[in-house]
Amino acid sequence: MDYGVMDVDEVGPRVIIRESFPDRADFILENVDLAFANSLRRTMLAEVPTMAIDLVEVDENTSVLADEFIAHRLGLIPLNSKQIEDVLYTRDCDCDQYCENCSVTLTMHAKCTGDEIMKVYARDLVVSEPRPNEWVGNPIITDEAGLGAVICKLRKGQEVRMKCIAKKGIAKEHAKWAPTAAIGFEYDPHNKLKHLDYWYEEDPIKECFKGLYPKKNGMWEKESANQADGEPFDYNAVPSRFFFDLESIGNLEPDAVVQQGIKVMQQKLAAVLQELAGDDNRNGDVGADGFGGQEADGMQGGADYGVDQGYTTPYVNPGAASQWGGGATPYGATPYGQSGWNQ
Amino acid sequence: MNAPDRFDAFLLGDGEKKVTEEPDTRIPSSSIFTFNKEDHTLGNLLRSQLLKSPHVTFAGYKVPHPLVNEFILRIQTDGSLTPKAALMQSCKELVSDLSILSREFTKEWELRKMVGDGAKADDKGDKGKGPVR
Ligand SMILES: [Zn+2]
Repeated sequence: MDYGVMDVDEVGPRVIIRESFPDRADFILENVDLAFANSLRRTMLAEVPTMAIDLVEVDENTSVLADEFIAHRLGLIPLNSKQIEDVLYTRDCDCDQYCENCSVTLTMHAKCTGDEIMKVYARDLVVSEPRPNEWVGNPIITDEAGLGAVICKLRKGQEVRMKCIAKKGIAKEHAKWAPTAAIGFEYDPHNKLKHLDYWYEEDPIKECFKGLYPKKNGMWEKESANQADGEPFDYNAVPSRFFFDLESIGNLEPDAVVQQGIKVMQQKLAAVLQELAGDDNRNGDVGADGFGGQEADGMQGGADYGVDQGYTTPYVNPGAASQWGGGATPYGATPYGQSGWNQ
Repeated sequence: MNAPDRFDAFLLGDGEKKVTEEPDTRIPSSSIFTFNKEDHTLGNLLRSQLLKSPHVTFAGYKVPHPLVNEFILRIQTDGSLTPKAALMQSCKELVSDLSILSREFTKEWELRKMVGDGAKADDKGDKGKGPVR
């Protein structure tokens, strides 16, 4: 490309992992602009698909809690969503209401027979087979006792018997499908760009950037907080280093959340490209498999822009399979399935 | 009740298109694109990528109403390519950048796993970019 001041794009995005835990990833994203980093953050928060209980059939509930109250609690229980590509959205499935291709059924049956108050936990949910893959739908249990979240309490003689249907969804529809508890996001920790207006008593450097609030991220900046003191303000400066701290709920591993977020973004862009390319040649005749065959025509202009063949890649996890998902996925659909807009 | 369905925010309606282009007849090489069932996530991303192109003289987006799930993107070029071509080029650049990011992240994550979970990059001065102070 003949872009002028593109020091950023010549190298492409760079990543430094600062800390990694089973449920947390603390990383730095460099050489991208603010819009890119923020879009990734927004996508990971709201548009990465996971599993959650969506339908509850109540057979018996003599507990003190109302049916819908328990149904809501059930919905919020994190369920394993590993390789969620194997699960169809119910709306894209051929079945009438739900089936083993688009849902996982969990049953809960508990009755208190003793004198003690009995607690019903997430571990008491029994997953039925068959299901789309061997992980999907398992309640996430991380406590040492192996109990999981408390669903309800029962007194002697009380009973709950419910059939729960877990479906695939995204947090944009309901927060129960969120893959993350939170995503920390910071840039320009010394506030050189003055995007923030910190409150201070006397000395902002002393009070905001040292001592009172020591900034972990500030240590990664090239200059320390007070080094640039007295320098004229750079009106053209833009942020290019972004500090992410992603905390998973447990349904997906933190790296999987990032990779799925990237994939969802690529699918969005691919949908736009497909629509625009479709206008040019075949007037909407794009084929049932969505992206299949797209690379052949309409996209010739894509040859010059880098390592990848553009939007033929979104459905192949580039660069070796990581442990969460692996290799090529059999995706051929639009971001939310075939039945949508491309027919 | 009269609350809209939540999936209205991301599922295209029957016969609805993801993007439509409306050429701006008042100004040459200028178009207004309407994106359905998209929001700031895509709007701001495309806007910022378009502005990196030397052939794009204007790119701006807005979400006209927070309860209507669409945004509009206005693009003007210097005439050496159409606004649509500029938009497609930007999309491809972003897809490519995202692929690079995916590979980079996989690589770094595997490296971190080898070092051991919970290890801190700060201790190792990773890539010579450790703490300055
Ligand atoms: Zn089904």
